[in-house]
Amino acid sequence: MVVLEADPEAAARKRPKARPAGRDDGGGSVEREESRSPVRWALLGVLFVVMVVPIYLLIVNAFKSQQEILDNPFSIPLGGLTFEHMGAAISSPQFNVIGGYGFTLFLVVMVDVLCIVLAGPAAYAIARSLKKRTQLVLLYFLAGTFIPGAAVIIPVIYVLREIGLANTVTGLVAHDVASTLPVSIFLFVGFIRTIPVDIDHAATIDGAGRYRTFWTIIFPLMRPAVVTVLILNSIGIWNDFISPQILLSPSSGHYTVTTAIYAGISQYSTDLTKVFPNLLLAVAPVVIFFIYMQRHIISGLTVGAVKG
Amino acid sequence: MVELAGLTDTQRRVRRRVRLRESALSFGMMGPAVLLYTVMTVVPVGVAVYLSLTDWDGFSTAAFIGLDNYKHLFDDPSSSDAWYVTGLISVVGTVLMVGLGLVYALALKGRSRANSFFRAVAYFPHVISALILGYLWAAILGTNGAINNTLAKFGIEPVGFLFDEKFAVISLIGVIVWAGFGFNVVLFVAALQTVPAELLEAAAIDGASKRQINTRVVIPMIAPVVTVATVLNLVGLIRAYDIVVSLTGGGPAGSTQTFTYLILARSFEGTKVGYATAQAVFLMVVSAVLALFVTALRNRQDQAATGR
Repeated sequence: MVVLEADPEAAARKRPKARPAGRDDGGGSVEREESRSPVRWALLGVLFVVMVVPIYLLIVNAFKSQQEILDNPFSIPLGGLTFEHMGAAISSPQFNVIGGYGFTLFLVVMVDVLCIVLAGPAAYAIARSLKKRTQLVLLYFLAGTFIPGAAVIIPVIYVLREIGLANTVTGLVAHDVASTLPVSIFLFVGFIRTIPVDIDHAATIDGAGRYRTFWTIIFPLMRPAVVTVLILNSIGIWNDFISPQILLSPSSGHYTVTTAIYAGISQYSTDLTKVFPNLLLAVAPVVIFFIYMQRHIISGLTVGAVKG
Repeated sequence: MVELAGLTDTQRRVRRRVRLRESALSFGMMGPAVLLYTVMTVVPVGVAVYLSLTDWDGFSTAAFIGLDNYKHLFDDPSSSDAWYVTGLISVVGTVLMVGLGLVYALALKGRSRANSFFRAVAYFPHVISALILGYLWAAILGTNGAINNTLAKFGIEPVGFLFDEKFAVISLIGVIVWAGFGFNVVLFVAALQTVPAELLEAAAIDGASKRQINTRVVIPMIAPVVTVATVLNLVGLIRAYDIVVSLTGGGPAGSTQTFTYLILARSFEGTKVGYATAQAVFLMVVSAVLALFVTALRNRQDQAATGR
């Protein structure tokens, strides 16, 4: 079984002295030589242009008229700057991306909290158990990582219908939480196994029950793993399109950012004054969050994907 | 469990009671997670398997038809077209994503601020929903998109990036690679930073050129990570759905319909639910085989790592 290491960058930040000296000069002399190489600069130039131009187009065209977008897509709209379409997008009654923020955020918070509440104790019980039986439970959860969500979403509808949660927010939350459990439990178990059992024994001797031991002693020690899981789940749920689209029909009146965009843009795909402002509204929170939490997000998503 | 000899009956009884309480507590801690995961993930898979053996159309009573649906998986033209498209996207996309990932990881492996910035530039689409990226690129590549309008200024005929069967799949693969290769860059950089500097110095002293160092020393050192990344990319691309919805809508003339797209399109027409779930189950099996392959590779890696 894989033992999860806390993300190396964070460890390195905490213990700068513990890093082998050899790893620091990974840059060193080779690096200085490299930075002068024209091939490298060409590579980085291409990378920058290709990655950033679409986002640049998204930003400048959100503030132009349709005619201006068609005539000069690449120009910065100094003269023809207009907030009209952005304003219309913000207050549009037809499809409301800003309204989608609230509902999506609610989903993210609900799923995050429930995932921690369910996955935490379960992972603790699995990690601390010496029985073979319990290890089978871990395998049972791991099997869930093989299931392509989109492929089984239709049967999920039938199951929700049977238990009376079809087309409800509760049903969507239940499905989303269940889909986060396998990877979360796997990451938590790996992390809890790195925490010495003596800590639990000490807590037991001091009279703490198992739940109390977990929530007051072990859980605070799991911070790196919890942060990783929260980032994975939050970004996953925020960007999820297929579950809300299929488990909440438009009649429910609830739109996430993605389903609102789908409802709107598929209707108005030729009206670029609707497309660009709404897409910018949909992308902005994520990109700002990414810039702000870049290091955590990159290491969290990478660890989660590789170990999960 | 080794029982100590010479225990009194009372001691034995106390022990058994303690152990019973322990397993009851474990069960209580795991119960809620196991229950939710079973109802929302495992049961739907069971339902899918059952439905795939029937001719259910979504309304009338279903008749059990055994493996008939599976027999048709390969001789139905739309299904085999979808397989061809999915296979093409997965293989070509993966090769490009891993290749570009390696090139840029080698260029950006040093620990410097500039390198971190460029890594983030390569990575950022990974946190944006694929649906939204698809709409953004559709607005750029469309007939009235920024690229075609710019070409028109130079008197060049518009290119049907998304409306010409020859180009649509290429555009789709291009956007998928654009959005996904940054993940590999980050993954490979993390692996490259664990390659000991002494090894590279030794190779340089032995007179190896920079290219030789990269191809003969560095890439073999991170080969296991590259293998895992390859399979992860394949598993991800086999399930491609959101981006197809927003970029091409499966068109033109169904030339970009991936397997997941087909499954969901079929399930909603309410015609061949049984057949569509058979396709879903088949997709699940392919995903599971690939995922098991990753797990096996990882275990081999871990053994190699601990054995070293």
